[in-house]
Amino acid sequence: MNAYAANFTVSCKVEDRREVVTLQREARLNRFFADVEKRALQIAEISIRDRDEALDLVQDAMIKLARNYAGRPDAEWTPLFYRILQNRIRDWQRRQAVKNKVMVFFGRGAEEEDYDPIAAAPDTAGRSPDQELQNEEAMEGLQGALAALSGRQREAFMLRMFEGLNVAGTAVAMGCSEGSVKTHYSRAVHSLRETLGEHWQ
Amino acid sequence: MNERDDVAIDDALVNKAQQLFDESVNGLDGATRSRLNRGRQAALSEVSGGARRFNQWIPAGGVAAAAIVLMVVWNGNQQLDIPQVPEVATDMEILLNEDSLEMIEDLEFYSWIDLDAEIGGDLEPVNNVG
Repeated sequence: MNAYAANFTVSCKVEDRREVVTLQREARLNRFFADVEKRALQIAEISIRDRDEALDLVQDAMIKLARNYAGRPDAEWTPLFYRILQNRIRDWQRRQAVKNKVMVFFGRGAEEEDYDPIAAAPDTAGRSPDQELQNEEAMEGLQGALAALSGRQREAFMLRMFEGLNVAGTAVAMGCSEGSVKTHYSRAVHSLRETLGEHWQ
Repeated sequence: MNERDDVAIDDALVNKAQQLFDESVNGLDGATRSRLNRGRQAALSEVSGGARRFNQWIPAGGVAAAAIVLMVVWNGNQQLDIPQVPEVATDMEILLNEDSLEMIEDLEFYSWIDLDAEIGGDLEPVNNVG
């Protein structure tokens, strides 16, 4: 009976320990998501130009990271998360391209008009209307210039500059070599300078 | 324009892009933030839910593992056993043996020898040919 009680106590301690580890991991993951989610949303939105879809993609990426990679070291979460997100974005773009082809075939054209700039407009609190307008125009210019880049160049630029990943982290997120990241990034900056340079100087 | 100017222009462009991006992130509306928060909670429930599901499966997993070990041990023993020949097959083998058929033909003689051995050897053979 005493042996049984001792076994039960050990079992409870193991269970408690596991529960504590899970809670700690959940808290760290919560902080990670809270830190990264807004930037991830903007990156996804710039890529696909649809806030609702971008929100769904970010949520999917968070769920997949939590489900499959929560046990990995915290330092790996950022590149892993963006790798999942970039894969989701590419899948979405591929599906959308097929959908648009079908729509064109049936004479309905692309659904670009579904993008609602008012719904996607940022909160204007704390900024003057002039300032807001200037920022809005500049941001639109940036989004247009980013949209004109190739997918890989856009990914490299946004991950490096907007998310602040280093070359190695960006390579993991993009699933390519560090050399490719440097090439894509350099070409992206060159293209952006050609497109935006005149307006931004 | 020299290389240093190029680098300075690139740096200025990148800084401005970063600044605009950060402002757009900070300017996200409440509804969007709320949806992000809901998405985050859904993702986090995967962590605790997954661990809970794992804990729930521990007893069942233990029983399953014990059953597998039992089966392996049982099968191991079965394989180590010397193959048992059925008794009927053994009897048939004896009966079909050529010597055995001869024994059946001289069954009376063998019965007499058996009886003779029991009572001390005073009997005469039944089929005494001599």
